[in-house]
Amino acid sequence: MLEYFQTDWAAMTATDWVGTILTVVIFILMVVAYFQVFRPKNRDSLESRKHIPFDDDHQDIGDNDGGK
Amino acid sequence: MEATAERTVEQKYSFDVVRWFTVMAVVYLVVGAAVGVYIAAELAWPFLNFDSPYISFGRLRPVHTNAVIFAFGGCTLMATAFYTVQRTCGVRLWSDKLAWFTFWGWNAVIVLAVVTLPLGLTQSKEYAELEWPIDILIAVVWLAFTINFIMTIANRKTSHIYVSNWFFLGMMVMIVYLHVVNSLSIPVGLFKSYSLFSGVQDAMIQWWWGHNAVGFYLTAGFLGIMYYFVPKQANRPIYSYRLSVIHFWALMFGYVWLGAHHLQYTALPDWTGSLGAAVSIAMIIPSWGGAVNGMMTLSGAWDKLRTDYVLRFLIIALAFYAMSTFEGPVMSLKTVNALSHYTDWTIGHVHSGALGWVAGISIGAIYHLMTRLWHTEMWSEKLVNVHFWTATIGTVIYVVAMWVSGIMQGLMWRAYDEYGTLAYTFVESVAAMHPYYAMRAVGGGIFLLGAIIMLFNILMTVRKSATEGSLRAARSAPIPAAA
Repeated sequence: MLEYFQTDWAAMTATDWVGTILTVVIFILMVVAYFQVFRPKNRDSLESRKHIPFDDDHQDIGDNDGGK
Repeated sequence: MEATAERTVEQKYSFDVVRWFTVMAVVYLVVGAAVGVYIAAELAWPFLNFDSPYISFGRLRPVHTNAVIFAFGGCTLMATAFYTVQRTCGVRLWSDKLAWFTFWGWNAVIVLAVVTLPLGLTQSKEYAELEWPIDILIAVVWLAFTINFIMTIANRKTSHIYVSNWFFLGMMVMIVYLHVVNSLSIPVGLFKSYSLFSGVQDAMIQWWWGHNAVGFYLTAGFLGIMYYFVPKQANRPIYSYRLSVIHFWALMFGYVWLGAHHLQYTALPDWTGSLGAAVSIAMIIPSWGGAVNGMMTLSGAWDKLRTDYVLRFLIIALAFYAMSTFEGPVMSLKTVNALSHYTDWTIGHVHSGALGWVAGISIGAIYHLMTRLWHTEMWSEKLVNVHFWTATIGTVIYVVAMWVSGIMQGLMWRAYDEYGTLAYTFVESVAAMHPYYAMRAVGGGIFLLGAIIMLFNILMTVRKSATEGSLRAARSAPIPAAA
């Protein structure tokens, strides 16, 4: 297994490094996104957005608070 | 109150350009599907070439793909993006002039494609065949579309940007980037250019574009449609907004890696194909999350499917989305790819996504738009139902024919006899395809029939609106002071 994951770091080109760093950064950002989205504290504020497509019906009749 | 709302909506928002994009989308659906059926028939009965290079399969095939993807798909995306961004942001389009420039510019691109491709003027890059002057026009028009969309969002009255706009915006930004890089070329004349890339780099750039055209244009853009039109048609909010957020970011971060899975067993380094396949498998999670999110919006109200034909289109499209986003990753695995690649299985996969998902969600959204934009009911609900069944049955016949022929092709090509020589010649495999190619043409023909019915129904609805004066009334009626 160690042999499978062995990397010749000296042979890494600039392109390889850019790709590697980007991959790691994107992975971390995805973890952050999952954490933020599924954090119980954020549930209500995020789920309240789901009504936006229906708010415009209220705005159309002059109620700019979205009917609230 | 409903009539007041209609008057307010019509006078508050910029819908004329949306109406034109909507009708043109259906016109191009018929044209694109008709060319597709013709070239499918050419493969089954080659005499239909009539020895004319202008209507040979090689020249008409890009006419078909450009017509359905960029003409039908593009007009649908522009109609729905311009409609939803206004309605979810509570403001008019930032610039009507830029919107009309987008409409005429995009249609000019389509006309130029229809003229140049049968003449054999092509860059020979899949889904990016058009020559360099048209590529520049595409970039300019797409940027006009993008800028107008972004500025409308910037002017919004709501505090939050609804998730459908995220998907539209993700598509717009990525398509600018993908189209410009993939189209980099050295012109040697007005109608001839050579790609800036060569060899494996050219192949990799081509499929980086090719698969991301699927991922960001045919998936992200149409998911933008799904996240607005499924809740609106069902009259229920999306099942989980949190899931939609994860769906968006996973799609944006993940999709760009997939292109290399189109190049398994080629001169590309082996690891790139493995990476493409690994990320493809990972993409099943957000894709299915999105499909389930759309379908579960009907949770507790499944009976709506019995009576609402438009909703049927939207939900069956999600079923095809789930199916093709599972099939694609499986086909990217090297062991499966060894059988499926270069066969008709790929064509079957593409059309389960294109006919089932992209066309299905578009058609549902267009029917929804028709009643809102022309302020009247559809001319015939029955014809919408007939269209649903012709589209579904046609798609299933098409896809099943290609699955069977594709797997048979793969098995025939790699069959060996006891002496280690090929069991079948290539010509034998071509001959074995004939019944399936005929079946594909029939399936496509049934789908085309549905598209013609849709165009007829839509034109009659526009006429009905004109006769009733409903659009005219919504445009000109004074809005009561109380509203």
